[in-house]
Amino acid sequence: MNSFTVIALAIFLPFLSAATVPLAQKILRHRVGWFASAMAFVSFLLIAYVAPVVIHGDTFTGAVSWLPSVGVEFSVYIDGLSLLIGLIASGIGIIIMSYSNGYMSHKEDLSRYYQYLLLFMGSMIGMVFSANTIQLFIFWELTSITSFLLIGYWRHRPLSIYGATKSLVITAAGGLVMFIGFLILHSITGTFDIPTILHDSSMIENIKNHDLFLVTLIFIFIGAAAKSAQGPFYIWLPNAMEAPTPVSAFLHSATMVKAGVFLIARIHPIFSGTEAWFILVSGTGMATMVLAGFLAFRQNDIKGILAFSTISQLAYLVTMYGYTTYHEPGIGVAAATFHLLNHATFKACLFLVAGIVAHEAATRDIRKLGGLRHEMPLTFIVASIGALAMAGIPPLNGFLSKEMFYESSVEMGAALGFPFGIIVPAIAVIGGVLTFAYSIKLIDGIFLGKRKDEFLPHHIHEAPYVMLIPAGLLSVLVILFGLVPSIPVHNIIEPVTSGILLETVHLHVTHWHGFTPAFMMTIITFVLGLLIYTKYDSLASWQDRLNASYPWISVNYYYDAIVNNARTNAYRVSSFVQPGFVKTYINALLILTIVLIMIPMIALSGDLIPQTLSFDINPYEALLMLLMVVAAIAATVLPKYIPAIIALSSLGYMVSLLFIYLKAPDLALTQILVETLTTIIFLLVIVRIPQTFREKLSKANLTRDVFISGLVSVGVFIVLINATQGIVPPFESLSHYFIEKSVSLTGGHNLVNVILVDFRGYDTLGEISVLCLAALGVYNLIHSRGER
Amino acid sequence: MTTLITKTISKASVPLIILFSISLLIAGHNSPGGGFIGGVMFAASLSLLYVVFGLDYIKSVLNPDWGKWFGFGLLLSVLTAFGAIFFGYNFFRSSIKFIHLPFIGEIELVSSTLFDIGVYFVVIGSLLYIFRKVGDDK
Repeated sequence: MNSFTVIALAIFLPFLSAATVPLAQKILRHRVGWFASAMAFVSFLLIAYVAPVVIHGDTFTGAVSWLPSVGVEFSVYIDGLSLLIGLIASGIGIIIMSYSNGYMSHKEDLSRYYQYLLLFMGSMIGMVFSANTIQLFIFWELTSITSFLLIGYWRHRPLSIYGATKSLVITAAGGLVMFIGFLILHSITGTFDIPTILHDSSMIENIKNHDLFLVTLIFIFIGAAAKSAQGPFYIWLPNAMEAPTPVSAFLHSATMVKAGVFLIARIHPIFSGTEAWFILVSGTGMATMVLAGFLAFRQNDIKGILAFSTISQLAYLVTMYGYTTYHEPGIGVAAATFHLLNHATFKACLFLVAGIVAHEAATRDIRKLGGLRHEMPLTFIVASIGALAMAGIPPLNGFLSKEMFYESSVEMGAALGFPFGIIVPAIAVIGGVLTFAYSIKLIDGIFLGKRKDEFLPHHIHEAPYVMLIPAGLLSVLVILFGLVPSIPVHNIIEPVTSGILLETVHLHVTHWHGFTPAFMMTIITFVLGLLIYTKYDSLASWQDRLNASYPWISVNYYYDAIVNNARTNAYRVSSFVQPGFVKTYINALLILTIVLIMIPMIALSGDLIPQTLSFDINPYEALLMLLMVVAAIAATVLPKYIPAIIALSSLGYMVSLLFIYLKAPDLALTQILVETLTTIIFLLVIVRIPQTFREKLSKANLTRDVFISGLVSVGVFIVLINATQGIVPPFESLSHYFIEKSVSLTGGHNLVNVILVDFRGYDTLGEISVLCLAALGVYNLIHSRGER
Repeated sequence: MTTLITKTISKASVPLIILFSISLLIAGHNSPGGGFIGGVMFAASLSLLYVVFGLDYIKSVLNPDWGKWFGFGLLLSVLTAFGAIFFGYNFFRSSIKFIHLPFIGEIELVSSTLFDIGVYFVVIGSLLYIFRKVGDDK
């Protein structure tokens, strides 16, 4: 098999298996989760199968035709970056789906749960291997949608629904903005294909010098930031914690939120090396890192702490990918990539521990937990490994990548010169200090200290192995990557880094570099971190007080204001646009029609009334016209409905007579039949309402009505008099075309019918659809009337 | 308002009108007529029945679900439009075929007639659906 087939299989296998989950459930019952994790395992193997291609620094592109008319293919681009995230998505997927076997109660709708998970996994794999922006966008939005479904998995909980909606609104809207960015990129480069742009340095140069460079960058970055919960878009992630905990571990820490970071890394070669890139990406990252780290203090829910910590850790990655200067457009790339992998391991591990604790102790409130180390020793060990890695304690993997973060911050600061030489490393250290503090809080709050018997069940068991082993496996990875960093670094981090920087990179990661600035910063981090930890609770309550007295300080305040008021605002708009009075609609319709007709008439033709008029009317026609005028006047002046309707329909019949006279049998027939039916329906309705329509019209209304009808009749008169004289110069008649082509193209001699069903088939299709909708609309109108 | 005369005449004329509406539908390609007119004529003839004999009586004799009619019609039209795709042409491409049958002579088969039949059913279904809903409303 070639690599393209393998990856295409890896993408579509999860989708296919999602379809077969209900079937598998019939056989496996509540053990259906093992089926899902087996499928994830196969996907993992398939992705791993192509790894050798990439590890030697090569890339691979393959495509099949999909939408040739717009130049879009279904194409796959395999490089280190896509491989890394693809492996994380499927690998963590195996662990999560196995773990879910223990976590999810057998009474839950398991098949729906695993279907969503598999769909998500397929979308994620599809997204990272996408070689063109259209395909990337589609899979990107699919991950948003599956995330929405998973957050709202417990449909009966209002908070789940709130969280799900919020995440969808923010991430999907961000995705749309990103799509605009992609379209601008297409208009600059003329291609949707990502590798084409990446491997063409003159095209990249062209983008960087283009006027729309900044706009494109901002649009695409907004998509990435919304997905990765950066900047003001962070607000959806804490609410996403309403999802079942394995979902949070999978989507909202290890994989989906990495999509934004992935995108930043993907477009890194195109946009980096510019000031705008550094200011936008690193600036957002730094602000988010410090703010989210700080806000984590206020959380009482363990998952809340983990959510804010995820935001802050993602901000590390964003910051590092943003470290770029003109000379060295990739100072932090290796560090960021390594941290991306490490974060996936230790954060997923911590989430799984949170799930275990909630499962056994029946609460996730850190104020109620404490002293569980005796009852859950294994969980305690696993959790400590995860949390210490996050805090950056040697020799765990978090220490290594944090050290690299500090190193690159110093380097970046030095490259920018004073005062950034101090500011950038200082912000990095602040981020590290906050991370350190809340990591310790997790361990201390759950496992150390005194057991709070009043809040906890009497007996708390160690977790079942089905939950413990997946978490333990991740903690083993944490240690392994920490002790022997060369395994991940040589096999995956180097190819990714060289893929992003487009040059060969050799990394050397060790624990001891000597007394470098980065080492000093680590020492400072530990000391300050411990100091801040002693003030942890008072900082948290200060935040609470601040938020209580100034609610507008929070971004959530604005989100709620906009979304909760959407209904009232929509009502206001629609009650303005749709007041519900037929009279208003008709007035608007008539005025608009006349204005739209008159503008081109006046603009294009010199005279409104033709200079020479030739009237050639024979007596029969004149008589018919006269009768029509009488009927029209009668329809307006008759004091009761039924006579007025009869007058109106007699007018219609006379029009059809006129059609016959003008040798248009089709029109005449139609006119007669439609007139008949409308008259009957009109009468059916009208007999139900009071029979006189003598209403008192105010003077203003009367003036308005007279004005409108005057306008309309003058307008129609002018149009008709021009049309009958055959002089409406700018508008050429179409009928010649139809007369010429009707027999040769369609084989039909009845022009009216041929136009309806063949030349204008599209229009007719639209019209009959409208007719169906109108019928259904009448049904609704009649049936919904009494309900208000 | 219904007299014996109107009742008798309607009984005699409605089948004729329906036959005429079908002929309008089929002949529409080359002479006056077509799906729309045919459909409206069909609907008009049935509404004559409704008016003359009363809604309740007609419903007890003949009460098809008009909603299904317009649903079917719309489906038929859309499928005809899509049909061309399966033969490798653009959406909505029509095709003509002349077939020679013994005794009858040459017949012209046009794919757009199929489309027109869809229109016919949509018009009948939706008009009578509306008609009956409005008439039914108490």
